[in-house]
Formats: sequence, C-alpha cells, structure tokens
Amino acid sequence: MHRFLKIAPLVFATIALFLVVLTLRLMFLSPFVSPREEDTLKEKSFHFAFFLPSSQYPFFQTLKEGALNATENMDCSISFHDLDSDPLSLDMVPYSGVDGIGIYAPVDDEYIRKALGHIAQAGIPIVQIENEVLRDETTFFIGTNNFESGKAIGSLAEDAKLGLLNIALIYSDKNPGFLSEGNLVEMGLVTVLGPRLNHLITDRTSSNPLDGERLTYELMLEAPSIDIIVLTNPMDTLVTVQAVIDLNLVGEVQIIGFGDDPTIMEYIEKGLLLGTIVRNPHRIGFSAVMALQEISTMGYTSAYVDTGLSVISPKTIGRIHD
Amino acid sequence: MGFTFVSFGFIFMNSLKIQEIADQRFADEQFLHELSVQLRDIQEPLEAYLSTFSSSSLSQLLFATETLREALPDERPIYNDFSELMRRDIYFLMDTYLLRVDLLVDQKRGRKVSSYTQGFEELSILYNYIVERIDEVSLRGFRNQLGEYRNFLVLFRKMQMYSLLLIMLIMALAFSILMKNVNTISKPLFELSGMAAQISSGNLDLPDINTPSVKEINHVSMAFNDMKKSIAHYIEELKKQKNIEQQIMTERVRNLKMEQLLKRMELYTMQAQMNPHFLFNTLNTGVQLAIVEKAEKTADFMENLAALFRYNIREKKFFVSLRHEVEGMQSYFNILKIRFPHSLSLIMDVQEELLDRYSAPVMVLQPLVENSILHAFKDRERLGTVTLSIRYENPFLRISVKDDGVGIPEKTVKALLTPHTHDYQLSSKVMGLENVIQRCYFFYPDEQNVIEINSNNDLGTEIIININTEVEPCIEF
Repeated sequence: MHRFLKIAPLVFATIALFLVVLTLRLMFLSPFVSPREEDTLKEKSFHFAFFLPSSQYPFFQTLKEGALNATENMDCSISFHDLDSDPLSLDMVPYSGVDGIGIYAPVDDEYIRKALGHIAQAGIPIVQIENEVLRDETTFFIGTNNFESGKAIGSLAEDAKLGLLNIALIYSDKNPGFLSEGNLVEMGLVTVLGPRLNHLITDRTSSNPLDGERLTYELMLEAPSIDIIVLTNPMDTLVTVQAVIDLNLVGEVQIIGFGDDPTIMEYIEKGLLLGTIVRNPHRIGFSAVMALQEISTMGYTSAYVDTGLSVISPKTIGRIHD
Repeated sequence: MGFTFVSFGFIFMNSLKIQEIADQRFADEQFLHELSVQLRDIQEPLEAYLSTFSSSSLSQLLFATETLREALPDERPIYNDFSELMRRDIYFLMDTYLLRVDLLVDQKRGRKVSSYTQGFEELSILYNYIVERIDEVSLRGFRNQLGEYRNFLVLFRKMQMYSLLLIMLIMALAFSILMKNVNTISKPLFELSGMAAQISSGNLDLPDINTPSVKEINHVSMAFNDMKKSIAHYIEELKKQKNIEQQIMTERVRNLKMEQLLKRMELYTMQAQMNPHFLFNTLNTGVQLAIVEKAEKTADFMENLAALFRYNIREKKFFVSLRHEVEGMQSYFNILKIRFPHSLSLIMDVQEELLDRYSAPVMVLQPLVENSILHAFKDRERLGTVTLSIRYENPFLRISVKDDGVGIPEKTVKALLTPHTHDYQLSSKVMGLENVIQRCYFFYPDEQNVIEINSNNDLGTEIIININTEVEPCIEF
C-alpha cells in the first residue's frame, strides 16, 4: 500500500503529462491551427479544364494524378469534367474563362468534334490525349505512338511460335486511343511480322467490362485457327485469359494483354500471358498540363509528344520486380 | 487546471472559427443564390419581352441585367480549388449570358425572328447550365462545410475526451498526493503509538523512529526518541543503585554475622579461660603432689600438660613468635608421647634462628599435629612419624607438618581448601584442621596458596603454611 502511495503520484503525473502532450499535439496539428498545404488556397495564373471519360479504370485515375502533380509546381489550376455525363461543359468552354483544355476524346464522335471546333475557333488551346479527333493549329497531341505500339505487339508475337501466325487484334471502346488510328497499330504489327503474319482479324469490345469474354468465345467458335489474341484494354485482358482457361486452350492460344494490373503481372509470371503493353498514364497527364502551360506562357509547344510505352514479358518481369 | 482552460479555450476559438467559416459559406451561398435569382429575374422578363415586345418587360429586363452586371465581381482570381474554379466559370458564363441577352434584345428590335428564336434557345441552355452550375457549387460548398463541421466535431470530441481524462487524472494525482502526505504524517504517528505500547510494557530496547515526515511530527518523533533514551538511562541508573544497595546490605549482613561471631568467640574464650585457670592451678598442685610422692613420670606428664594449658591460656594474640608456637606443639606432643611411647615419633627440622625472627598465627601447629595423630595414624599399630619443617624461602616462610599416615581423600582436601565462614554452633570440629585453614585464609585473603595440602593414599599427608613475610596479615576487623 505504502509502495503504491509512493509511486502513484509519479504514475498519474506521467500519464497526465503524456495526455497534455497528446492534446497539445492534437491542437497544433488540427486543420484549424495548422491548415494542410493542399487545403490552403493558392492563386494561380491559368485555368485548364480536362475532359475525360467517366471510366474508373486505373489508367484514368493515374492520368489525373499525373496532371494534379504537374499543377503543384506550375502556375495553373485544373478542373476535371466528365465527358460522358456532362458533355455540355465542353460546349461551354468558350464562355467559361478556361485558358486551355485537355481531352481524352472517344472515336468518331461528331458532337465532340464539333465542340472542339468551337473551342479551337475561340482560340483556346486544346491538348488531345491519346486520340486525335481534330487536327488544327490550336490542337496538340499527347500520347503513345500507335505504330510503335503495333511494333511492340509484333515483337511479342514473334516469340509465340514458329511459322505463320493468325492474330486477332481486339480494340475496345474502353481504350479509344488505339481505335482512333487503328490502322497504325496494324501497320506496326505487319512491319515486324512481315510474311509470318498469315491472317489478322480485328474486332472491338464495347465499354461493358465483360464484353471481352463474349468476344473470345465467339472468336474461338468462328476462327479456331487463331494463334494469338491481342487485347488493348486491361479488363478485356483479364476476362479473355479467364475465357481461354475455361475453354481449355491455354498454350494453344497465346494472349498479348494490355496494362500492368497486379493480376495481369501474375498471369505473365504463370505463363498465361505472352506479355503486356503498358502505357504511362501519369506521364501522359503530367505532359498534358505541361504542354498547356507552355502554350499559355510561351504561345507554342510541341505539336506531338510521345509519352512512350513499355513491354513486359516473362523475360523482363524479373527486372520489373527488382 | 490551467491546461484544461487552455483546451476549452482552444475549443471555443475553433468553434468561433467554424462559425466564421460557416458564415463565409452562408454568405457565398447567399451571393450565389442572389445571382441565381437575378438570373431568373432576367430570364422571365426576357421571355416576356421576346414574346410580347412590351416596354415594361424591357425596362425590367434592362434593370435586371444591369443589377446582375454590377453584382458580378471584377476580380476573378484562379485558385487551386475546384469550387472556386467553378465559381469563376459561373461568373464568365454570366458575362456571356448578359452579352447574349443584349444581343437578343437587339435582334428583337431588329425583328430578326429566326436569330433571336435560335438565340433564345441557346440562351435557355446556357441559363439552365449556369443554374445547374450554381446548384452544383452550392451543393459542393455545403458538402465541404459538412466535412469541415464533421472534422471540427471529431476534434471537439477528442479534446473533450482528453480534457475529461486529464481532469480525472489530475483528481487522481491530487488524491494520491493527499494520501501520500497523510501517510507521511500517519506512519510516524502509528510507529509512535506502537513504540509507546512497547515502552509501557517495559520494552525499551527499540530502534529510534526515523521516518521522515512534516516538521512538527519530526520534532515529536525526536522528542519521543529522547524520552525513550532518558527513561532507559534512568532505569539503568536505578538498577545500578539497587545493585549497590544490595551489595551494601550483603556487606552489612556479613559484618553483622562477623560481629556476632566475634562476640560468640569472645564468650567462648572467656568461658574457656575460666576452666583452664582452674585446671592449670589444679595441675600445678598435682605436679607438686607428684614430686612430693616422687612420681617423676606423673610429674613430667602433668608438667607438660600444665605447660600446654599455660600456652593456651596466656596467648591471646593472633600472631605469636614461632618459638612459642613450636614449644606449645612440643608440650602437646610430649603428653601424647607419654601416652603412646612406642607408636609416635616427632622429627623437628627447624632452623633455630627463624624461631625468634618470625611469627605465625597462634595455635596452628598443635591442631595440625593433633590432626595427624588423630586421623592419620588411626587404627595403626606401627610407628607414626610426624615431621615439622620450618624454612624460609624469600619471601615465604614455609611451615610444613608431614605425616606418613593414611592420607586425606581428594574430595576432603578440596572441601578443606575452599574458603568459607564457619558457624561454630554447627560443627564441633571447628578447632581442628579446618579452623587452621580458614584462619590462614582469613589472615591472608589475597594469598591463594597460603595453605597447601599434598596427600597420597597410604603415603601420608603434608600440610604447608606459606606465610608471605612481606605481606601484613589482616588482623583488623
């Protein structure tokens, strides 16, 4: 009892002191005393609007992150607009005081082409990301060279098997960047494979995430001689691999995927995928903001910026992990 | 407690801040709402003007457009916040809206029906878009405000919880300090009461109370410790005094006994002197009668007997010269020699010059010789020899009486050599060997070896009196 009475004040005082420190820390770290840097309003000189599809694919999320990262060190602010649910915002660009726009436009959309025409006519710089639907003096392109993408796919296909190759190239509305100049992809493919390319089938999946599975089943029924299926979208890649497994065609039909989802990387390690084409959305977003900033401050920028791509195959995946 | 005030102050300041934010939000919202109302105030008269061409609608329209134009801010900074960007967009869109309204009015005045019809349709789209944008900004602002309010509530609850815990801890701390102080005071008091109980039961061998406490209690403890020591000291002194008194009492009793003994001895002496005088006179008469009757042997016997009586009667000192003592012993032996002419022999080994130079306690040789004759040669038919030896070995005078008798048992020797006082009434042998030994101890209390007895069974006994000639005998009472 006496021993407890001796140490009790010390124990209580220590806990109280700890609590005081904790409370003071809470006070000083609270946003009311020390507001976070991202919460403080900073005045900028330019406002750029980005119009992106409503897709929640990691590709677009990373693209947004890249664009936001760019604004931290540049004298501009950006706002994102949903191109699918709010196309009217694109129409209103000429009247809303925006200094420039970046757009990831779908293919063959006359409405968007027309809106972009109005914007260009108002003298507002336009950076088209991955897909160039309007070519004008005020428009610029940021993205991957599809011809190079075709060549990368061809180089992966070369290792699939000896002899002639029957390839199915599946475009997707989920990644219209490939679609806009689809012929460039095919040209790149032909350039690499040459006479070994026996037969090339092209098809297209909708924006439905599961559409790739349906298409795979149809392809296997209609063209059973296909050696390689090339996908241009991560979701299509995942469901196609599953369909090939379900059809018990692993090994007989090789798959070249798109994207670097962890599951896709796992498939490569297991040998279910011949390889995958990976674009750099963060760099794309960053480059788009940088291009708009250059146009706004200096009046010009490169008309075409290739953000590059990388190829991951079972041979190179080890380096990725390292 | 101060900290609690600080925390509550912090909460109060933040609540003011959140009110300020809310006020700002409400003001912004109010401003947007006013813009929306003013926009509607334009759209309705515009429609009326385009359809009816009425001047009242036009004046109403012009007033509304002017009001809206004045309400729109001239400064439109770009911030890194989506709501602020949307607000800025709205202002620009309203600029466009007002320009288009002016254009429509001009087209109406110019009767360009298809143009203002088409233009009104586009303006309506713009109007709806602006209203939607205003709603969106309001909704977003409301959500942001809710988020801030929620953050404030979370912070407020945490602060409340911490403050409550702190108050409880401070109370616990205060209580523990109080209990500790109470214990600091009560513990020495408890020890004091325990010590008091021990002291009251007579136990003074207790450690001091040294438990640190408040100044007053420390003084009480020190005083109590001093009191305990004082009591112990006084009790010790009392015990010493009591011992001294007991020793004095013992000494007094001993002196009384000794005095009693002396008186008794004096009485015995006086009694003894009465009879020997009569006997001495009688014996002298007998000696003369024996001489008259020519009985020489009888006369010799009685003469020795008379000499022995004379010695016994006349010598009243404690110490006499050795010569007198030896002569007394010889008279006694001559009497016995007459009785036992063939069984007793006395050998004298005495240096003549010592007899007059030194003295010895009175009546020591005769009892020693008597002891040898009575006990050593008891039931013995052959010749018994008694040897008297007197020597001087500086500084000791050694008087030895040796016989070749049966010897004395060791146990008896040990009992004889034990110094003690003797009650004459209890023993009739007091005048014998024991008397001699105890008197020697009496006269020389510091000389442990004043008397020695060397005895062997059937080989005889030697009794030695060692008188230290440099030590005065203790003859004062």
